[in-house]
Amino acid sequence: MTRRWIYLALAILVITALPWLVTSSYWRGILVICAMNVLLALALNLVIGYTGQLNLGQSAFFAIGAYVSTILMKTYGWNFWLAAFAAVVAAGFLGLALAAFAVRLRGHYLAIASLGFAVITYQVLINWDSVTEGVRGIYGILPPVGNTVALFYVVAGIAILVYFVLDNLVHSPVGDTLRAIREDEISAASLGVNGAIWKAFAFGLGAGIAGLAGCFYPGFVGTLVPDAFNIVESFTMMAMVIVGGMGTMIGPVIGAIVLTILPEFLRGFGELRLMIYGLALTLVVLFLPGGIASCFKRPG
Amino acid sequence: MSDIVALAVQQTLNGVYLGCLYVMVALGLTLIYGVLNQINFAHADFVTVGAFTAFFAATRFATKVLGMPDAAAYLFSIVAAFGMGALLGLLINAAVFAPLRERGDELRPLIATIGVSVLLENAQLALFGPVPYQFDSPFARETIRIGRIFFTGQSVLVIAVSAASIGALYAFMRFTFLGKALRAVAQDRETAGLMGINPGLLIGLTIVIASALAGMAGALLGPVLVLSPFAGASVIVKAFAIVIIGGFGNMQGTIIAGILVGIIEAFTVQYLGSGLIDLVVFVLLLAMLVVRPTGLIAEHKEENV
Amino acid sequence: MKVTVRTLLACAALLASFATYAQVRVGVLMPISGPGSYFGVMGKEGTELALEQLKGGVNGKKLEVQYEDSACSPLQATNAVKRILDQFKPHIVVGEECSDASLAIAPILEQAKVLQLNAGSVTMKLTESGYKYVFRIFPNAEQQSLPLVKVAYNVLKARTAVILPEKTNAGADNAEGFKKPFEAMGGKVLAVIDYGRDVNDFTAIATRIAALGKIDVLPTFSLEGQQVRLTQALAQAKVVKGGGGNAVQMGSIWLPYGFEQKAGQSSEGYVRVVQFDPTENRKVVQDFVKSYKAKFGQDKVPTHITAHAYDTIMLIAEAVRRGATDTESMREQFRKMKRVELTTGFVTFDEKGQNSDLSVVHVVQTQKDLSWKAINWQ
Repeated sequence: MTRRWIYLALAILVITALPWLVTSSYWRGILVICAMNVLLALALNLVIGYTGQLNLGQSAFFAIGAYVSTILMKTYGWNFWLAAFAAVVAAGFLGLALAAFAVRLRGHYLAIASLGFAVITYQVLINWDSVTEGVRGIYGILPPVGNTVALFYVVAGIAILVYFVLDNLVHSPVGDTLRAIREDEISAASLGVNGAIWKAFAFGLGAGIAGLAGCFYPGFVGTLVPDAFNIVESFTMMAMVIVGGMGTMIGPVIGAIVLTILPEFLRGFGELRLMIYGLALTLVVLFLPGGIASCFKRPG
Repeated sequence: MSDIVALAVQQTLNGVYLGCLYVMVALGLTLIYGVLNQINFAHADFVTVGAFTAFFAATRFATKVLGMPDAAAYLFSIVAAFGMGALLGLLINAAVFAPLRERGDELRPLIATIGVSVLLENAQLALFGPVPYQFDSPFARETIRIGRIFFTGQSVLVIAVSAASIGALYAFMRFTFLGKALRAVAQDRETAGLMGINPGLLIGLTIVIASALAGMAGALLGPVLVLSPFAGASVIVKAFAIVIIGGFGNMQGTIIAGILVGIIEAFTVQYLGSGLIDLVVFVLLLAMLVVRPTGLIAEHKEENV
Repeated sequence: MKVTVRTLLACAALLASFATYAQVRVGVLMPISGPGSYFGVMGKEGTELALEQLKGGVNGKKLEVQYEDSACSPLQATNAVKRILDQFKPHIVVGEECSDASLAIAPILEQAKVLQLNAGSVTMKLTESGYKYVFRIFPNAEQQSLPLVKVAYNVLKARTAVILPEKTNAGADNAEGFKKPFEAMGGKVLAVIDYGRDVNDFTAIATRIAALGKIDVLPTFSLEGQQVRLTQALAQAKVVKGGGGNAVQMGSIWLPYGFEQKAGQSSEGYVRVVQFDPTENRKVVQDFVKSYKAKFGQDKVPTHITAHAYDTIMLIAEAVRRGATDTESMREQFRKMKRVELTTGFVTFDEKGQNSDLSVVHVVQTQKDLSWKAINWQ
């Protein structure tokens, strides 16, 4: 127990120091994106890693968070935190609804239902011009806090909070239940566990956290266009979970940071940048099946 | 013919043609899913590679080096693309699917193929550049008119080649030993292994056939698509939808779903608007999952044993 | 000891060379990855060519360029522009091509007080939002659509139109730019049929258009790849003149030279606005085409995208020639410019930073042999 508090103190220390170690506004911006992606990967890992549900629609919940909060602020003049709260509820509720309908679908069917949901969400953003501005996009969105460093502290603080909540959750009886469902839903049911409700709960929670991450995106970029939530983004988020190490708490954190920073480091390679990225992704999956997190695990 | 009937016939025809193109792309996906329970995300890029192979085979090699007439050169390029697809299948099986299968993994091959997809797309970008190529099939130049209905030679060719490949695939599955063995592996890998069938080899073969089909689809789509390194990506999401609507791994279902999606797309353009195609197709998909989670045609695994 | 002295001397020499060759730093944001690299590849050719010609420096100053991939995306462009601002400290940033990305970087550059010179985005918002550091040499959506409206209504006597824009920010703006004045003049827009950039087969769209009744003009706003397919489908459906129909398809500056050869006979009768014309007789154009061919191959023809990129660098060089040394003085020089000649025409910026000189924009119609015939629209 004390070890966890040491880790927490260490994490807070690193996060506090980071924006002062990298002083360029470019790298500070990348830090914000890292924190946002850590949130997304943590949420997705809860669903994929701990309950074994293949969610290919994470970008949709990210988008719902971004659009709902922005529209509430811009059109209805809500304050950021209230709008963010509403956006999280909306994303979580939609996640719950999708899960309630999808829990009876197994394996790749759930994957496809969530993928379909992501495509539909993207299409609604494009076509519902009167509310979302469609392809024209929303411009001049202000960040919830004054500057990039403050924004980083807010998002990273929330990421730590979410990390510890989820960490406690997966190490609680609830976590045991979720794992039992992942391993064998039928045996779990024979022990009186209602798999459907718990799976939907995890899915909804994951969607809500993704929505929360989405609230910070528009203010950071200043611009909101549907293309940012193309379904390809869902695959990038899943790659973060797998590359980092699925089913571990620290894995998705590592994966999110590595896959956010890697393409930036590769900028010097110009046209070859994404080729190297693709190759690296394939090689990590092939040769590090447990993800990067498995490198740090000592045997026994 | 009254206006409305002519219009309906024309749009149905447009849809069937488009549907056949989708079926060609989706067949490979469904084939791999059938035996391996895996999705090859790089499938779209195999289609693009096939299209580029066909383009260069037809315009640079067959006409210039072999001196073939245009029509023969295009037909030759379809074969070349088929071969290139098979080669890619061989490679991705050796590099990704075979090593990961030994670990009995579900998710990782998907992510690995996403990596392969990014790699292939950008390798083609480096090789061919982003400016679309003008791939003209001599068959696309012929417009055939029957009354007020029109279609091109290319659409006849596409429908003919799809029908022929589906027929060949069916015959292969039904009547050859390899085909029967393949179906056995798809049903029950372990039992098939006990019966002396080498599942590794057969799965490899399936991936090669599926990829060869993707390459050929590229050759057929080349003169229809805006041919750039991103061409395949524009049809793959719809191909996924078709595989699901048809019931994962179910060939018959995929064919029917493909043509259905083509027709729905044509009528969506006519009555709702071309911007709503994906929306309509995917709402249909979700509705399908609610009503019939097993796909259009329910699987009858027991009957085949 | 010896080594240290030599190092010191070398450093001193380096510093001295910096002092004598003052630099003007130009950041270039272009899409190098993803489908938007269509623009980036052509743009880079133009930029490289211009830099090669300015190798000796301008007015004692050297133009330094740093490229950054902005991928046509607001997020990527935001990252890229911050990176370029931090590491390169540019006096001016050229780009982006895509409207979304151009709009995303505008407030960042405005805040950093760095100029943005745009040559590829049509969105009205870029120069209508009150930015003080934005300049654009490319005609905006209204400027591109207005000549089309005038030709449609006055020359072709068109009264009905179906607008065919791609489903993007730029497509929507251009469609709006046609619809409003055309309806104001008394024309009727029967339908606006938009389509995503992933649409390949246009037969169904052409069939729908054929069933809409009598259409005079079809203003189309999309990139070359899709336009070739669309034009061919419209000919097959006997909608446009190239296929034996009556309607005239109209296109914007987006289409590069050589479109007619790709679309073939289907493009007969096609009317389009052209800004950059490689066959034009002006000396700047011919010199540019000649040096382009010498560098990139005799069989290649520069597109308007290449020409615009070349022009942005040449315009910056012109400002330097007139005495600009940093961002503020360059801004002053831009504001003072009157009819500066470039390959894509003449540049006179209005108070919003938009080029207001459209004297080179002309309208042409494709003939049976696929050559162009000029139409007077003014």
